[in-house]
Amino acid sequence: MIYLAAEHFVRAPQWTWYILGYFFFAGLTGGCYALATLLRLVGDARDEPAARLGFYASFVTLLVCPVLLTADLGASWWKFWHMLVDVTPGDQGLNFKYWSPMSVGVWALLVFGLFAAVSALESFVLDRRAGARPLGGIAGLVFNVIGGVFALFIASYTGVLLSVSNQPIWSDTWMLGGLFLASGLSGSAALLALLTRYRPDAAFSLGRLHEADGYFSILELVLLVAFFLTIIAAGTAGPTVPLLPLWLLALVGIGSSLVVARGHMRIRPAGGSAAIARAGTDTLVVSALVLLGVLALRAAVIFSAQ
Amino acid sequence: MAVTIKPGESYGFFTDTSICIGCKACEVACKEWNQLQGDSPKFLADSYDNTGQLDDQNWRHVKFIDDVPAQSADAGNGKAFLMMSDVCKHCKHASCMEVCPTGAIIRTEFDTVFIQQDVCNGCRNCIAACPYSVIALNPATGTAHKCTLCYDRLQGGLQPACAKACPTQSIQFGPLAELQQAADVRLAALHSQGVTQAQLYGRDDKIYGGLNAFFLLMDKPETYGLPNAENAKLPSRNDVGGYVGALVTAVLGVIAGIVAFRRRGTS
Amino acid sequence: MTNHWRDIKNADLILINGANPAEAHPVGFQWFMRAKLDRGAKIIHADPRFTRTSAVADLYLRIRTGSDVAYFGGLINHVLQNNLFQDVYVRNYTNASFIVKQGFGFTDGLFSGYSSTKRAYDISSWSYEAGSDGFARRDMTLQDPRSVFQLMKTHYARYTPDVVSSITGIPVDEFKKVADLVGQMGKPDKVMTIVYAVGLTHHTTGGQLIRSGAVLQLLLGNMGRPGGGMNAERGHANIQGNTDHAISWEILPGYLRIPAPGQKNLDDYVAQSAPKKSDPNSWNFFGTNYRKFMVSTLKGWYGDTATKDNEFAFDYIPKPGQNSSWMSIYDQALKGKMEGVMLSGMTAASIGPDSNQVQQALSNLKWLVVMDALPTTSSEFWHAPGVDASQVKTEVFMLPATHWIEKDGSFVNSGRWSQWKDQVVPPQGQARHDHWILADIFSRVKALYNQQGGKFPDPIMHLTFNYKDPLKPELDEIAKEINGKDLATGKQMTTFANLKDDGTTTAGDWIYTGSYLDSGNLMKRRDGIQDPKTNDPTGMGFYPNWAWSWPLNRRVMYNRASADLDGKPWDPKRPGITWNGTRWVGDVPDYPATMNPHDPNAYLPFIMNGEGVGRLFSNGMIDGPFPEHYEPVESPVANPLHASVSASPVAFLYDQAAGRPNRFGTAAEFPYIATSYRLTEHEHYVTQHVPHLVQLQPEPFVEIPWELAQTKGIKTGDKVRVSSKRGKLEVLAVVTKRLGSMTVAGQKVFQIGIPIHWGYVGIAADSDPSHGRYWLANALTPFVGDANARTPEFKAFLVNLEKM
Ligand SMILES: Nc1nc2c(c(=O)[nH]1)N[C@H]1C(S)=C(S)[C@@H](COP(=O)(O)OP(=O)(O)OC[C@H]3O[C@@H](n4cnc5c(=O)[nH]c(N)nc54)[C@H](O)[C@@H]3O)O[C@H]1N2
Ligand SMILES: Nc1nc2c(c(=O)[nH]1)N[C@H]1C(S)=C(S)[C@@H](COP(=O)(O)OP(=O)(O)OC[C@H]3O[C@@H](n4cnc5c(=O)[nH]c(N)nc54)[C@H](O)[C@@H]3O)O[C@H]1N2
Ligand code: SF4
Ligand code: SF4
Ligand code: SF4
Ligand code: SF4
Ligand code: SF4
Ligand SMILES: [Mo]
Repeated sequence: MIYLAAEHFVRAPQWTWYILGYFFFAGLTGGCYALATLLRLVGDARDEPAARLGFYASFVTLLVCPVLLTADLGASWWKFWHMLVDVTPGDQGLNFKYWSPMSVGVWALLVFGLFAAVSALESFVLDRRAGARPLGGIAGLVFNVIGGVFALFIASYTGVLLSVSNQPIWSDTWMLGGLFLASGLSGSAALLALLTRYRPDAAFSLGRLHEADGYFSILELVLLVAFFLTIIAAGTAGPTVPLLPLWLLALVGIGSSLVVARGHMRIRPAGGSAAIARAGTDTLVVSALVLLGVLALRAAVIFSAQ
Repeated sequence: MAVTIKPGESYGFFTDTSICIGCKACEVACKEWNQLQGDSPKFLADSYDNTGQLDDQNWRHVKFIDDVPAQSADAGNGKAFLMMSDVCKHCKHASCMEVCPTGAIIRTEFDTVFIQQDVCNGCRNCIAACPYSVIALNPATGTAHKCTLCYDRLQGGLQPACAKACPTQSIQFGPLAELQQAADVRLAALHSQGVTQAQLYGRDDKIYGGLNAFFLLMDKPETYGLPNAENAKLPSRNDVGGYVGALVTAVLGVIAGIVAFRRRGTS
Repeated sequence: MTNHWRDIKNADLILINGANPAEAHPVGFQWFMRAKLDRGAKIIHADPRFTRTSAVADLYLRIRTGSDVAYFGGLINHVLQNNLFQDVYVRNYTNASFIVKQGFGFTDGLFSGYSSTKRAYDISSWSYEAGSDGFARRDMTLQDPRSVFQLMKTHYARYTPDVVSSITGIPVDEFKKVADLVGQMGKPDKVMTIVYAVGLTHHTTGGQLIRSGAVLQLLLGNMGRPGGGMNAERGHANIQGNTDHAISWEILPGYLRIPAPGQKNLDDYVAQSAPKKSDPNSWNFFGTNYRKFMVSTLKGWYGDTATKDNEFAFDYIPKPGQNSSWMSIYDQALKGKMEGVMLSGMTAASIGPDSNQVQQALSNLKWLVVMDALPTTSSEFWHAPGVDASQVKTEVFMLPATHWIEKDGSFVNSGRWSQWKDQVVPPQGQARHDHWILADIFSRVKALYNQQGGKFPDPIMHLTFNYKDPLKPELDEIAKEINGKDLATGKQMTTFANLKDDGTTTAGDWIYTGSYLDSGNLMKRRDGIQDPKTNDPTGMGFYPNWAWSWPLNRRVMYNRASADLDGKPWDPKRPGITWNGTRWVGDVPDYPATMNPHDPNAYLPFIMNGEGVGRLFSNGMIDGPFPEHYEPVESPVANPLHASVSASPVAFLYDQAAGRPNRFGTAAEFPYIATSYRLTEHEHYVTQHVPHLVQLQPEPFVEIPWELAQTKGIKTGDKVRVSSKRGKLEVLAVVTKRLGSMTVAGQKVFQIGIPIHWGYVGIAADSDPSHGRYWLANALTPFVGDANARTPEFKAFLVNLEKM
């Protein structure tokens, strides 16, 4: 065989469908929590229902994550806990390697899971008994903020994890963490916007969610451009070409959220986004496209190196 | 010749590709000792190589680079029809070990890199990391496999099966310091014979801090499918950059959220 | 091998011709690498293909298959023309000075005495002129025009670099480069080895191909010296032992000739078989002791029945009137003259040549017995793909035999070391050892003779069979018997020098006498590199207490020639044996241990020969006293030296002699030269059953020169059809620049490479829809062989190539 003088001679780890699923849901669970926290923190009192919706969504999407991760281990699935506990004979203890995003990520997921569960429970309680504040005032907010930091981590570290490797493309850029985060936030905003359909009292936030989605999408677009610039500079962009349909799908997601966001930004002066009473078909379509774009982006990144 | 094997010392391989005859005895000896079944037979249309790669069933793999010039009289000496027995490099700074989240990959008392099968849970992070495409997952066990540097044999005072089987001593096993010396002597001899393209790979610390399994090559590392010093980088190089990228995004994202959700107007 | 594997490390220059040791002898190849790495020796590999050996050689010569006589001839000419031979050696240690009879000559490709009707030579003119003492006349000045030296100079003067190039295809400048290196090897402090294998033997000129190398070595003074010699890398792990113990039809154990028709008694036999002394100082050890060896052998076989009165049962030994070599067996079967065949440890149908014809021969048999551990193309030939089993009348018996790992016994390697090994695994299933199967058959045949009588029962009835269990002889018992004993004392013989012709000693194979003493089996010795100081006292790698080598544990044959006339080594750094004033020390001397070299009656160095010296000129070959280049029977060019006698004039043409239609092709129909060979990954056919090896080389293929493939649009992995006059192969192509075009006799020719390893049996064939129907390499090869040994011409034939 005549090897080409290229940088990478590494084999693909065959991270495929389960990991794609995990990356998708990790983006959503982190994104939803972060958005929920922001809504509660800086939003209007009328944003609270949407915030709770966010905590619920975060919790539900979180539940899928360990299942996907464990399934991905195949025949060794029952050793999933080895991520946390080192069972090396004579060297037992907890596993924590700050330089290995996978190791850090697992712990982060565990801790974040706690926050997500508590926040979802809190929302549940609040929804049942109006006026109750189990976590009360400042403490509750601090709790949400800390959870929010973990949430941002969960939504982004999967990209860093890919980069901390020797795979072509993945390891040739520093944009993946940001890219996944931006798209995770955008997808979460879209998801929450969609969910307001099922919770009329959250409709107040609908326009603001669309607006946020627009900003996230701009961020995502910038990062995507930066991503391509870096891998083109590294000379490894070639394998992304065959995945053009996926990249286009991701762009469609970005584009459609921008279109919708533009509309909302325009109606704001005329009384705020609360003018929309209820998520319409446009939200349905756009959110679906955005979520599809989130998935497509991750798939494109994962498959371009394998 | 006989090597006494003591825990606490560094051991490895010096593989001299200039005298490899591509007999694949190393491949087969490894499979026999380690009871690897091998893959189902497949013709790869790649010179004499039908193994194709290092993976869970092939912990040694002899590469053939079949590029003999038409004027072939002087093409011998290991220069034209290149053969190289590839294996895990037992990197001093091992990418695989760096990323492994379970602690399954350890350095043994012989300073070799070893995957503990009972610890590994098949996450495949090491596969993404190993720059030499050494490790692969065995779907049956759900764990990552690669050359153990015959850990069991070393423990029993025996040299690795592949080195023992190698008829030309292309694969030399021994204490690392001795091997490095032997390699320097060999390189000097080749250079004095005018074989100036001969070079050592991984003998010094430029490649992953030094490879316990290092090579004498007869062409550029890339020709053999090995990253050169410039490209041999650890996965952790992207930790800071990757996280900074994420952090900046997070900050901008939060600002965006604040902008979108901020309390405004009178209602 | 005249020398041995480890000795190759002592060489300064290694010529490899007709061998691919890196692939076929990878373990022995370590010594080539040691010579190269430790002493800077140069390796020159001449091969039609750039192989894994070429890859690590210093120089590679793309040579046309079947043309090495011209290559060696050119080197001989270079050495003679430029006086580069080892002068003292040539004068004293070779027959250069011998005067050849008047009447000997060579014209237009034919030596004197040729009969075209018989396709044979009358060799009476190929001998020495006798002097008044009855011995050969010699001219020590080497000036006599009829001295071997002058005749040879004239003979090889034709082999100029241009002629060599036009025959071999080796460019003139490359040849000159090699000639230059080889020319330096005639100095006493330089030594070269020539290594060869079946790339030389598998030709109609096989014997002479080897002789031409040996002649060069004699001229350079390299025979008998450590680091020198003419070294055959043998085949199967024990093929050397097979040969020693008479696997070939024309010899008895220890290279005693098989008696010929008309030999009425031992005197006749010895007179016609033993070499005769042609110089007063020749010991002629073999000739002198021939009778003792033969009688001791007969005594071993027939014990008390063999007496002086019945010529020691000489009558019992067959005196075949016909050639019974490999191809002759199938030729007889084709003629319907063979009732049955027993095959043990070989696969007739795969071995070839001309497998289709061999399969026809097998189906002419009444019965076929295959003794093997595994199914072979022979045991399965009757239902091979494309064969209608109902049309095959042959009854095939498969007797499960143990594989060699299931028994102990000895392996004799190329260096003549007999090394005893242990059983590795017990016999599997119902398998029995070959010698047990044969013993059982023998006892049943004997019982039948007992019951029913028969024409000539004596050789069967009187054969000694004194084993503890005559149905299950131990190999240890047989080894002991082969060594032989003194019947008077009952003690094991220690040397063949003590064998007698009066019936008081036995020897199963005289060259093994000394291998199994009363003190034990010397083949089991293992004093090796665990302590080199003690175990290799000379430092030359002889390791005298590692196993045992014939003859008499000698490691380098003809080693008297390693020392000069005074008994000092030619190169003190590489001594073989040395005269220390009272005796010869070093290796086991190939010479009387205390014979003073200054004694005027001292024997000449080559003690086995009648001449006492090495033969540059020999009447021991049926195709000429000097090696001459002849084209393979199928060749794209006419012989550039003598077009009218292009191919060997004496090679036996079976089909023609039997009146069968000609099965040779012409260059018009089959324009490409093909050669067949091994790959390191497989052992002939048997490893088609070994999964790990099938993985390494899973499918049959042919190697095609890149340039030719371009013109035919063939890419690696494409399926191609390679056909000869006799059959076809339909396999994958491997396109490579390791094979290239060459210019031969002014014509551009291509060589195609054909690995031999596949057939219709084994893992790959089982998984192929057509069961490997066109996978037998030997479907292509011609049914013709070496003029002397009749070894088939597997290595040179003509084919056509098509993309499928
Ligand atoms: N791996 C492996 N090793 C083996 C065996 C095996 O089957 N597999 N078989 C064993 C046996 S039984 C034997 S006999 C030996 C044979 O050992 P080798 O003789 O080394 O084996 P081959 O591959 O048949 O032929 C050697 C080389 O001769 C070249 N050749 C062909 N014709 C000519 C010619 O006219 N001149 C020159 N100079 N070269 C020529 C061929 O291209 C080939 O590379 O190997 C033994 N070792
Ligand atoms: N075209 C072409 N043809 C060739 C050659 C070539 O170069 N080109 N080479 C020729 C040469 S040199 C050779 S040696 C032949 C080789 O041809 P074969 O000798 O037929 O080849 P192997 O596959 O080695 O067959 C050996 C058989 O012996 C069996 N066996 C092993 N041990 C024992 C034992 O202890 N007892 C018994 N009874 N059986 C045992 C194995 O199972 C195997 O079936 O091929 C010849 N044919
Ligand atoms: S070569 Fe790969 S598997 Fe081996 S130690 Fe280095 S990084 Fe790990
Ligand atoms: S697959 Fe096993 S060895 Fe590899 S990183 Fe994961 S746990 Fe570690
Ligand atoms: S050291 Fe052992 S495990 Fe590693 S390649 Fe060699 S034989 Fe295989
Ligand atoms: S055993 Fe030695 S010579 Fe043979 S392929 Fe392996 S490294 Fe090369
Ligand atoms: S197959 Fe056996 S005999 Fe042949 S080289 Fe290998 S070890 Fe030696
Ligand atoms: Mo052979």
